[in-house]
Amino acid sequence: MSGWPVLRSACDPGGEGFKRNAEVNERLVADLRERLAVAGLGGPEKSRARHVSRGKLLPRDRVDSLLDPGSRFLELSQLAAGGMYDDVAPAAGIITGVGRVSGRECVVVANDATVKGGTYYPITVKKHLRAQEVALHNNLPCVYLVDSGGAFLPEQDEVFPDREHFGRIFYNQATMSARGIPQIAAVLGSCTAGGAYVPAMSDEAVIVRNQGTIFLGGPPLVKAATGEEVTAEELGGGDLHARVSGVTDHLADDDRHALRIVRDIVSTLAPRTPSPWERVPSEEPAHDPRDLYGIVPADTRTPYDVREIIARIVDGSRFGEFKAEYGATLVTGFARIHGHPVGIVANNGILFGESALKGAHFIELCDRRNTPLVFLQNISGFMVGRAYEAGGIAKHGAKMVTAVACARVPKFTVVVGGSFGAGNYAMAGRAYSPRFLWMWPGARISVMGGEQAANVLSTVGDADPDAIRAQYEEQGNPYYSTARLWDDGVIDPLDTRTVLGLALSASANAPLEPVGYGVFRM
Amino acid sequence: MFDTVLVANRGEIALRITRTLRRLGIRSVAVHSDADTGARHVREADVAVRLAGGYLDADGILAAAAATGAQAVHPGYGFLAENADFARRCAEAGLVFVGPPPEAVEAMGDKIRAKATVSAAGVPVVPGGAEPGDDLAEAAGRVGFPALIKPSAGGGGKGMVLVRSAAELPEALASARRTAAAAFGDATLLIERFVENPRHIEIQVMADAYGGVIHLGERECSLQRRHQKIVEEAPSPLLDAETRAAMGAAAVEAARSVGYTGAGTVEFIVQGATGDYYFMEMNTRLQVEHPVTELVTGLDLVELQLRVAAGEPLPLTQDEVRLVGHAVEARVYAEDPSRGFLPTGGRVLALREPPGVRVDSGLMAGGLVGSDYDPMLSKVIAWGKDRTAALRRLDGALAATAVLGVPTNIAFLRALVGHPAVLAGDLDTGLVERHLDELVSREDVPADVLAAAALVLHREHAPAGTPADPWDVPDGWRLGEAAWTVHRLESRDGVCEIRVRGLPASGAEVRLPGAEAVRARLTEESGGEDGDLLVTLGETARRYAVARDGDVVWLGRDGDAWALTRHHLGDPGDRAGAGGAGDGLVRSPMPGTVLVVKAGEGERVAEGQPLLIVEAMKMEHTVTAPIGGVVAELRVRAGQAVAMDAVLAVVREEES
Repeated sequence: MSGWPVLRSACDPGGEGFKRNAEVNERLVADLRERLAVAGLGGPEKSRARHVSRGKLLPRDRVDSLLDPGSRFLELSQLAAGGMYDDVAPAAGIITGVGRVSGRECVVVANDATVKGGTYYPITVKKHLRAQEVALHNNLPCVYLVDSGGAFLPEQDEVFPDREHFGRIFYNQATMSARGIPQIAAVLGSCTAGGAYVPAMSDEAVIVRNQGTIFLGGPPLVKAATGEEVTAEELGGGDLHARVSGVTDHLADDDRHALRIVRDIVSTLAPRTPSPWERVPSEEPAHDPRDLYGIVPADTRTPYDVREIIARIVDGSRFGEFKAEYGATLVTGFARIHGHPVGIVANNGILFGESALKGAHFIELCDRRNTPLVFLQNISGFMVGRAYEAGGIAKHGAKMVTAVACARVPKFTVVVGGSFGAGNYAMAGRAYSPRFLWMWPGARISVMGGEQAANVLSTVGDADPDAIRAQYEEQGNPYYSTARLWDDGVIDPLDTRTVLGLALSASANAPLEPVGYGVFRM
Repeated sequence: MFDTVLVANRGEIALRITRTLRRLGIRSVAVHSDADTGARHVREADVAVRLAGGYLDADGILAAAAATGAQAVHPGYGFLAENADFARRCAEAGLVFVGPPPEAVEAMGDKIRAKATVSAAGVPVVPGGAEPGDDLAEAAGRVGFPALIKPSAGGGGKGMVLVRSAAELPEALASARRTAAAAFGDATLLIERFVENPRHIEIQVMADAYGGVIHLGERECSLQRRHQKIVEEAPSPLLDAETRAAMGAAAVEAARSVGYTGAGTVEFIVQGATGDYYFMEMNTRLQVEHPVTELVTGLDLVELQLRVAAGEPLPLTQDEVRLVGHAVEARVYAEDPSRGFLPTGGRVLALREPPGVRVDSGLMAGGLVGSDYDPMLSKVIAWGKDRTAALRRLDGALAATAVLGVPTNIAFLRALVGHPAVLAGDLDTGLVERHLDELVSREDVPADVLAAAALVLHREHAPAGTPADPWDVPDGWRLGEAAWTVHRLESRDGVCEIRVRGLPASGAEVRLPGAEAVRARLTEESGGEDGDLLVTLGETARRYAVARDGDVVWLGRDGDAWALTRHHLGDPGDRAGAGGAGDGLVRSPMPGTVLVVKAGEGERVAEGQPLLIVEAMKMEHTVTAPIGGVVAELRVRAGQAVAMDAVLAVVREEES
């Protein structure tokens, strides 16, 4: 057990402010849960009934059955495509996440055939690619539960041709396999056209008899092209691929049998690489995480001490603060989460030059010490004004951004409040490839606040300030963000500790590259 | 008194005799068959000797006695207990046979001779007449109706005719004579009074070598099924002191008439309505049900047997025999009432025997109950100051008994001792068969048992202690609502899906098909026996004995026990449409040996077509195809030993 002091809390659960905050935050979480429940259903009732009547498991049941009994599942972007495509693609028609299969953390990608036949919308592609990125960064085996009609043809220009489009899925499979990251597919339904490559590009593939099909062109296309008349099963069914073509390696009787075979395959994988850091026994926080609802202000503009959050997510509420007296608007220090060592970088006000230098120094320390970084983002930006520009705040900010960009230890970002401007970069925004990034339901994200944008735009042009404010309000909302995969999901603040713990354990599967430079004192 | 005695038996009776030997400071010698090498009676004796030929191996027993310096052989019951030749060979070898003289054994072994002997001594026998001495029409008038006509040469009930009135007699006699002549080539008949729904009441007698004969009161053993006693008690709720004394005196006369010594039992059938009693036979050994007599008399019958065998006179007179209170015994059998009382078997995975009552048991946790011997496992015997109190204590004791791993009749016993007719003391030998439907539970596995089994399995996914890694916590955590884990458990009712989420040790939810989720918690019973669990479902907490055997979870509560088999994802039993007979799995109905395999792999079979014969307890059980199809797998061959419910073959439906 570390000798770091236990953080003291000034929170007053009986206070008026606490109650007001709790009321607002609980409402936000209730709204989140409602959205998750709706998206979790998948496609329309009728499609689901039809799916089940064919003896197929619903995609969520497939994932649950694949995972070890009782396994946790760190799902990614459950609310993807929310508010997009007339809301016909809940979760973008694909379930992705990290879960345990045969004792091994794996990335699972499961098509939801009850959503438009499991076809790929632009965000579906993005979500699939993001899951593969998570697998790549964290060195996690990939399991694809395929049941998809391929690209959503009406949007082919946003799905097919570009670098980060459909073809990238197979590129990733090939390059991950080359790096020793296992690629396993179970064909539980259609695998048409490009989709056919998912099993074909896998290290090992399973197909369900009389249910799974793999072909480059389906029966209608074949008839049109050559006049040949053939059934889907004859053209690309389980028997054909298991007995004749050799595209698949295992023939299953049904979904459950196929998932069992996948589990057996995972149990044969080479052992995981050892963790780059040491984990100690875990300890619950000394302060009740439920207080978070009352602590986090209903209005993101209200200042509060971010240590109150730290005290509710780290082991034993113990925190070894670094440079406590210097650059006080950025809180840095060492702690443990579920036994993993972490360096915490948390905003406690606007970023000044000193805070940026402190941040850069601390990030370098953590990188040197193989200590993963946790960013708690609540930042309205860097300080502006003549004195600060003259003091070189841009170059100081650049140092922190450089440190964040170059750190090879896993970074985890939680947007607990505002995420505005260059503060987003210095605090490991999406562009800085944190291993995972989550938002709290009360968070906001945009290049600047709506008010500031309205002022700037109405000063330099003739924009309508109200329209600008409305646009920023809509686009700064965490559900707008998560629909577009700017993050990995909106989470209940109470889940923060669990989510970070699961992510830290998952990230410990990937070895670290060596560090190039020593620690620069700023 | 002897200093070393060999106990030529096994199971509970060998243990019971050994206990008395130990109390008297006598060295005990056990013998055992190869199947019983690790049995409890072997472990608890001072010395044990293997018998190459099993428990009927007289040569082996005599050699073992010689080798261990035993001076006497106690045969228990069964095996060699009523074998006059063996008794003689003991005497020739200079060993004392703890039992009556061979002549008495022989005299009582021949049923017709026994009846004649005791009748001559004035003991009532069933009235009747026999050809050629008697005219049957005349005899019938004397005997009264209903009466039973039997062929003299017959046996097994063949050719017996029941006559309810004098008018029916001529036709019945003619018919019985034709049958007897055709079946046995001998038309000689006899006629007896037909005792309808009789009660079985027996008198315990004790005799020494000096002419001392006393009786120790009666036992009523009317609760039987197919002549197998199930529940016995002392005294009988039917008898008054006067009748008891009269029957006791008759039993003493019966014993005297053959020069009896040691412990014996004189059995009577009793007409419940009239109280008329008739001599049936005399058992020249210690009876299974002797403990009820011990509990009401305060005597140790084995000790008395040994003293008499050692040449001591009886230590008490008839006047000194006192009957205090009431005792009831229930026999725990390895049999399955819901499958027509088929014998069961298996390894005893966990055992709970009730405190506060007498338990004569051969069971041991880890012991194997095979099909080689009698399926009686133990006897639970309760004493109370009156019959009601004794029955209540017996029921409580049975409820506290759990034998996991081997299906038993305990739930059936509880139903029986709680039956209104039994509580009222309104007994007869037909009672059990008449009420069988009420006594044998046909209920599905109770919901709480299914839930508890799923919780037990779910708990096993959690690592011991505080998990270091949050991935190790099997609570189904999700962003949003936690996920259910589906446990597919197979019982006789088929496969049931039970959903669990959360952590059973700290708080979980369970959902059964078609039911609401309930809060659930599973805690190790502190102070209880190892493996006992307390399961709280909603507001109700129940205690279960729990044992595991591979994928089978055994749960016991209230005397009942259930075996639930877990299906792993994707197992044959987990496939679509699995469960019940539809899954095409052919299972062994009992533990035993495959005698004949009638079908081959790949063979097309019709539903109901015999596939195999499994032999157990000398009964042959034909195992048939549950569905029509092709024999996809045949996992056994002739001669192979199989456990109960073992998968013998798989029949797969043909794809159309």
